[in-house]
Amino acid sequence: MVNPQLEKSSLLHYRPWRGELSGSWRPTWAIARTALGLLSRRKLFWGLYGLSVMIFLFFFYGQYLQVFLEQRVTEENIRSGGLFPKNIKPETILHQLQNALQLNGSADTYANFIWFEGYIVMVILALIGSAAIGNDFHHGSLPFYLSKPIGPFHYIFGKCLAVGIFINLITTIPAVLLFIEYGFIDTWSYYWDNLRLFLGIIFYGSLITITLSLLLIATASWVKRTMPMVMIWTVMMVLGRMIQRWLVDGLHLRKEWRLIDIWNDLYLAGHWALGTPHEALRPPWQMQPSYHAALLVIGICIVTCIFYLRKKIQAVEIVA
Amino acid sequence: METIIDLNEINQQFYSNHALKNISLKLKSGRIGLLGPNGAGKSTLLKILLGLISPTSGEGKVLSESIQSSKVKQRSFFGWGRNNFTLRGTQRGNERLRKKIGYMPEADALIPGLTGIEYVALAGELYGMPRAQAQRRAHEVLTYLELEDARYRRLEQYSTGMKQRIKLAQALIHDPPLLLLDEPTSGLDPAGRDAMLRLLLELGRDFGKSLILSTHLLADVEVVCEQIVILLNGSIRFQGNVDSIRSQQHDRYRLRIQGDNRDFCKDLQLEGIEILSENNRGELRVQVPKEWQTRNFFVLADHHQVILRGLEPDQETLEELFLRMVIVNSPTQVELATK
Repeated sequence: MVNPQLEKSSLLHYRPWRGELSGSWRPTWAIARTALGLLSRRKLFWGLYGLSVMIFLFFFYGQYLQVFLEQRVTEENIRSGGLFPKNIKPETILHQLQNALQLNGSADTYANFIWFEGYIVMVILALIGSAAIGNDFHHGSLPFYLSKPIGPFHYIFGKCLAVGIFINLITTIPAVLLFIEYGFIDTWSYYWDNLRLFLGIIFYGSLITITLSLLLIATASWVKRTMPMVMIWTVMMVLGRMIQRWLVDGLHLRKEWRLIDIWNDLYLAGHWALGTPHEALRPPWQMQPSYHAALLVIGICIVTCIFYLRKKIQAVEIVA
Repeated sequence: METIIDLNEINQQFYSNHALKNISLKLKSGRIGLLGPNGAGKSTLLKILLGLISPTSGEGKVLSESIQSSKVKQRSFFGWGRNNFTLRGTQRGNERLRKKIGYMPEADALIPGLTGIEYVALAGELYGMPRAQAQRRAHEVLTYLELEDARYRRLEQYSTGMKQRIKLAQALIHDPPLLLLDEPTSGLDPAGRDAMLRLLLELGRDFGKSLILSTHLLADVEVVCEQIVILLNGSIRFQGNVDSIRSQQHDRYRLRIQGDNRDFCKDLQLEGIEILSENNRGELRVQVPKEWQTRNFFVLADHHQVILRGLEPDQETLEELFLRMVIVNSPTQVELATK
């Protein structure tokens, strides 16, 4: 009971609060928002995000350029401007855009786009993992979260939400924008005819979000600091790729060795979702393991991360 | 006064380490000191009260919410039940319980990169407060704790005293009826410590908060608390109010004697007096039994023909009493009736 005399005597005294406390789901958004806020305060984040926007703009204007050239393919030459003007054959550029970059609104367009953006995602995740998650373990902030009316699941979900929003800002949302753009410059029936592509993009983005956010939280809770995080992600994403290429393309071992590269597995799962036949995977000379094997590895990876995080957070609850 | 904590035979075991042994406690609302040396099990008990960890065995209630042993809870995954309504109920019970409790952890538990106001408002949102209300309340609490000038500063730039106060602020944000405070004066200088203890006393005495103050400093408990629970090696060694612990204090005297005092000392010991220290300048420190009367010193001195040049009371401090209580290896629990 508050002493009524004190209540009147000073404006700086303790005031009771009367209000309703909500359930455990509102706090997860607060956790996600705080993590995103911490990330957005890093200048490096904005630099790398700018780079990812440039990749998006390259694809965006590449698609536009392709349509523009298709309309002028009857012309023999296009005179380019600039300091060194020269005549360019539209067919040459069109061939480059359609075959090399696959900017044709097909499954390859979106899979390639997400693949290229993946490099930026990897670098940013490696650098921000400690700020968003590792610090909670390193500076003992986890008891701060877990002493509130939320469970470990809400904490992990909140962090996954933050990482997921960030990943989707770089991959899924721009890929959907490319899909919408292609519909505008092609025909309206493109949207309906390629609904599978749209759903595939969403599935691919969701799979990347779930896998990478769990992988990031698991590795960040393990190594905590930025430099070890960068080293772990380099081993997983760069060294893994180099080793699989050396084993399969160099030593001609079984193509299943490619499964050690998690980004390649996600790429395969994405193609599966986008409906690309396995034999149409590019480049054609590169033998790839089956879609199901890639999905299985991703599933194992997700389950392992969940079990590891459960154990890790339980241990923190006990010792913190 | 309502009973806020009612524990029955609580045990907590981490592998071979028996952190808590058969803890049975019934505590009424008020200011309670949880006292014990490092490793006594205080923090573990606080985590059980908070529902952060489940006891290995035993049961109890905190603010009318049940605490269940891990024998029931361990079947849940991430705290979520597996096709079992009661397990989900346990998780919800823990969430309800934590809404009624403010916990100030011993560790820093700060989030680097956040400002003070963001940190406290985040705590409010984690408790389930709407964002706007959490922001407004964070300003209020920080002003009350005299952190208004530092609220827009990053937490990394806070001094130890400010860190302790902001940890208290995040525990107070939702105005809980019960505060669990784990070593709130740890790392503070004397002035900071006094200020923190004054705050806690004010919160308990004037604003009706129940406090459980976990510390290894008896002086902190003396200033703030009415009730006291002493833990040692995971067991309760004493439970009662602070006044009753004072009644356990031994009467002591400092004597200054001139002349050969060997026979005088022998007689003192025969009378049941314990000689705590003696130096070759005739200065003695003695502990007398309850029924001892001061004039008996003079009678004995006269009998042995020594001159008693100095006699002053030298009462056992609460610190000494606490040390004496925790050093005693008796397994029996000393219980005194709460007045």
